[in-house]
Amino acid sequence: MTATSTAALAEATQPAAVPRRLGAPLWVGALVIVLAFLVLYPLLMLLFGALSDSNPVIDGFGKFRPSLDHFLKVLGNENVHLAFFNAIAACGGGTILAVAIGLAFSWIVVRTNTPFKRFIAGASMIPLFVPPLVAGVAWSILGSPKTGLLNTAFKWIGIDFRVDFYSMAGLILVFGIYYAPYVYMFTSSALQNMDPSLEEASEVSGASAFTTLFTVTFPLIAPAILAGSLLSFVVMLGIYGVPAALGAPANINVLTTYIFKLTAWSPPLYNTAAAVAILLMIVTAILVWAQQRVLMGKSFATVAGKAFRPRSLNLGPWRWFTFGLALAYLFVVVVLPTLALVIAAFRKFLFIKDFEALFDMRAYGWFHFAQVFDNPLTMLSIYNTLKVGVITALIGGALAFAIGYTVNRTQVPGRKAIDLLSTIPVAIPGLVVGVAYLWAWIGLPGGLYGTIWILALAFVARFIPDTVKALSTSFMQIHKELEEASWICGRGLLSTITSVVLPLARPGVVASMTLLFVLAIRELGSSLFLYTSDTTVMAVLLLDYYEGGNIGKTAAFSLVQTAILAVLLGLTNWLARGAAQGSARVG
Amino acid sequence: MTAALAIERLEKRFAPGTRPAVDGVSFDVPAGEIVVLLGPSGCGKTTTLRCVAGLEHPTGGRISIGDRVVSEPGRGLLVSPRERDIGMVFQSYAVWPHMTVRQNVAYPLKHRRNSGGGDINAKVKDTLELVGLGEYAERPVVSLSGGQMQRVALARSLVYRPQLLLLDEPLSNLDAKLRIRLRDELRRILKQTGMTGLYVTHDQAEAVVLGDRIGVMKDGKLLQMAPPGEIYNRPADSFVANFTGASNVLTGKVLARSGERATIDLGVAGKIEAWTPQPLNAGDKARVALRAENVRLGERGPANVFSGKVIERRYQGMQTVYDVEMGGQRLEALELGTAARHEQNGEVAITLPPDTCWAYRDEGVAID
Repeated sequence: MTATSTAALAEATQPAAVPRRLGAPLWVGALVIVLAFLVLYPLLMLLFGALSDSNPVIDGFGKFRPSLDHFLKVLGNENVHLAFFNAIAACGGGTILAVAIGLAFSWIVVRTNTPFKRFIAGASMIPLFVPPLVAGVAWSILGSPKTGLLNTAFKWIGIDFRVDFYSMAGLILVFGIYYAPYVYMFTSSALQNMDPSLEEASEVSGASAFTTLFTVTFPLIAPAILAGSLLSFVVMLGIYGVPAALGAPANINVLTTYIFKLTAWSPPLYNTAAAVAILLMIVTAILVWAQQRVLMGKSFATVAGKAFRPRSLNLGPWRWFTFGLALAYLFVVVVLPTLALVIAAFRKFLFIKDFEALFDMRAYGWFHFAQVFDNPLTMLSIYNTLKVGVITALIGGALAFAIGYTVNRTQVPGRKAIDLLSTIPVAIPGLVVGVAYLWAWIGLPGGLYGTIWILALAFVARFIPDTVKALSTSFMQIHKELEEASWICGRGLLSTITSVVLPLARPGVVASMTLLFVLAIRELGSSLFLYTSDTTVMAVLLLDYYEGGNIGKTAAFSLVQTAILAVLLGLTNWLARGAAQGSARVG
Repeated sequence: MTAALAIERLEKRFAPGTRPAVDGVSFDVPAGEIVVLLGPSGCGKTTTLRCVAGLEHPTGGRISIGDRVVSEPGRGLLVSPRERDIGMVFQSYAVWPHMTVRQNVAYPLKHRRNSGGGDINAKVKDTLELVGLGEYAERPVVSLSGGQMQRVALARSLVYRPQLLLLDEPLSNLDAKLRIRLRDELRRILKQTGMTGLYVTHDQAEAVVLGDRIGVMKDGKLLQMAPPGEIYNRPADSFVANFTGASNVLTGKVLARSGERATIDLGVAGKIEAWTPQPLNAGDKARVALRAENVRLGERGPANVFSGKVIERRYQGMQTVYDVEMGGQRLEALELGTAARHEQNGEVAITLPPDTCWAYRDEGVAID
């Protein structure tokens, strides 16, 4: 190429390059501002709250009396210590149980010839979709010391044994069985990806199957076990519903329930709540960081580039034992709670005199449902929930797309900052997001507080990391050359995105938005601090019913909420599948 | 003396009603001998090995290690891998990444029911010296190279002196240079320890260097089991001939046969004398296989002299490859040396020494 033609070419590209040079920083700046507004501003306000003793409601917005003393006083408070250690005990115990169950399950499903493995694997994921408060309500119906159905059943059988789920043991048990799937997800894929000859080598060396399991298999998947247990610990730590249902009656406070208690005080102790929320956030952040480190470290067990047929151990007649174990788990975690909710929702009184009385149809009816739907708040909460869900999905989906594209697909400076900002909420429990948004908006005139929008924005902020992650995987499947081909054809960036990237990424976009929608409609932790009587959502109303003490109404509304969730899950699943098929035709 | 390994009519079907992956394979390995199973992927060689190890369960036949039957499905007999007194080296090394070199090698001594007693540390040390890893005992295995990992795997399976060592393509994950070095060293170590070995590979060079005898397998069947020289010079079967490099095939009709000598009519090209392991009859369709390096261009020998035409000449530096047309059939000829002596499109005399021409019945199947 001659010098003149190079110069001519440079000249030709010049006019196009100028707006691009300005456009990128503008775009990055806009994204950073949006993320700062959604994530950083509330967190800063939370920090101000924790480090001051001025109350935004009483003193008005803008008054700020910094005081580290207050924060230190909170940290030295006995009740805070108690809530902290209760949380560690409940989540620690729950995690140990979850690891035992999750590990056993992944071994049964991946490594043995247990019958109906696929069904077991699918069904054991159900607990992930159950809202924590619904689980808590169900287990309070089953395991309350006086009227609990389990105790009633023990009495009929004549066993002199009573359970009390309003206790630390109850909390641990419910945490353990419901969050075992988190451990399972990690360990089962590690077992699946493990080179089977590692275990065969041990067997040939003369070690027994048992020795092999404990000296080779489990040590090799140790990183997965650790990552899974850290994740389940973090999730439990941020849960409000289960300890609210089971801990509160026995006066056992964990960090989440304690924070809410502080804001429900009269007058509300917002500063103290902020300080405890910061404490909860720091613990969570450390654990999340540790989990990411574990995941980043090279995993022992996975061998890249080769597909293995995972070893399947022939258990002989013992396979019916493992099948029985799996059924027992599913019975405890799916059937029993569902049964309890159904009985409590349809019976006029929960008291059941004897076994025959259980089948006395006169005691059953739709009374509780009628009462629930007589309450105008019920329909309002359903309407509000769906509205918040849709708004969250739309805003969050669009934002996640913008972030995902910018971070994964462009070389613009500043994309690392965007990546970082959008990952921060991973380490913030929902309840802390709620407190932070409360601090950020309660004193501000102009009234975002008290509207549906503050809930939606809080949800967008809380779930942005999950949404971006879900979207990014679908971006990675679109080859960069497909875009480059479009540029070569003379299309601009925007036109390429709308004509090439968006259609190809559509299944991913639809799937992330539906994920966001489902997450938003079952979210309780952040809603607790942001709703008003006009903007109440289903999860909050359910808590109201539970705390009101009417177990029949609570159970009925739990079933309503679960049914709505199930229908929406089915619907969105069907939608996402439709979108995937649609794009298969495009691709 | 009993064979260290005896396999009789071994059969393995992965699912009932399907074609068996191993189909009636029988052979013995006397103590101290190394037998190599050679064949293309999917021929059943690895399945045979895994049946011997006890990692796959055969569906028929009998396997004995030493004087003990370890597998006989007909009698419902199956000994677990850990009780077979075998060692095994895997293609993926299968060294345990969460242990050091020493821990890997000491593992079998610690967990075997009868590890033979003695000082574990001394045994580990001796074995590591043997494989040339004496200095590496305390290293974590993940810090080693592929070749070193495979040495660890070898040490781990030798340390307890099993009756039988099984090697499943142990060199195929290594790069070419290292593969050759480790191959020669493997032979030395195995012979030095007097190990009885069953070795599986798809690499002919490995098979020839390592094996006292080579068994060629195809579609689950053992086609020929013989010392390397015999496999290369007296292939029992047209597949063996082709697989070991006799890529030229001439087709014709059998005119006459006496003993292992056959005369075949190649049509326009004329008649050819060939060696045959099969009882061919006059009138049978036959294929004559021969290696490109055994085609003598420009020579008029005592027998099997033909004339042909060079169609294409490919100069490759150290050698030259010619495509020659001979009475309507094609031959590939290889001429060693840096000078190419025959012109493209030139007429050329061809001698095909009868000993290097092998005739087989033409089964009508294409040879790939």
